[in-house]
Amino acid sequence: MVYIKSWDEFMERSIQMFRANPESSRYVMKYRHCDGKLVLKVTDNLECLKFKTDQAQDAKRMEKLNNIFFTLMARGPEADITEASTKEPAEQQPSKKGRGRRQ
Amino acid sequence: MVLLQPDPFLNELTSMYERNKEKGSVWVTLKRSPLASKVKMNKMKAAGEAIEYRCLVRATDGKRNISTSLSAKDHQRFQASYATLLKAHMDALKKEGAQRQEENHRWREETSGFEEAQPWQVLIGSKHVCERISFDFLKTFHFVVLPP
Repeated sequence: MVYIKSWDEFMERSIQMFRANPESSRYVMKYRHCDGKLVLKVTDNLECLKFKTDQAQDAKRMEKLNNIFFTLMARGPEADITEASTKEPAEQQPSKKGRGRRQ
Repeated sequence: MVLLQPDPFLNELTSMYERNKEKGSVWVTLKRSPLASKVKMNKMKAAGEAIEYRCLVRATDGKRNISTSLSAKDHQRFQASYATLLKAHMDALKKEGAQRQEENHRWREETSGFEEAQPWQVLIGSKHVCERISFDFLKTFHFVVLPP
């Protein structure tokens, strides 16, 4: 198994994999604090996609992928993920303004 | 495997991250699961019932396992708190600027002493160094040797 270097490729292929095989796919995130390393893995037991990083920037990207997978898994593989994937910048704006509690 | 409600799960996950700060890893797995046995699933399929899938979240540090399951309703609330939790604990990763700072530092080290360079000097440098030196400064050298 080789690590995928490009984030975009990893994200695209992992979503594709889940959609093709939602029942047997899983998404694993491993974080090792002492080494400052983060490894993401998506597998359907036939093929395995992995992405390794030590950059904080990639943790932000991962948040987006987390949201996509939460949506896909809780709502089904046909769920609309455009909201989840574009949500991040949209969500940041109100958080700057709003001090009160949001639901 | 302890199946928890989403909120206690997040609390447990927090302490799991705390416990594995000095050494150890934490794995978090997301999987789509109906939380029913295969037999039951087949029965339901045969009966034409709709199967309710949930998002199963499992976490382990190799010693303890915890898990929770999310319905279509509560995944959004969970994913927001989960993101906050991760942000708070993944602080060992390198910041965006850190790499650039490191580069600058290296560059300063590599180029220290160049200010006093004389015109007859030959600059043998890494590509990294020469890319960052102004053309005017490079002109003061008779020869510049770059690595291939």
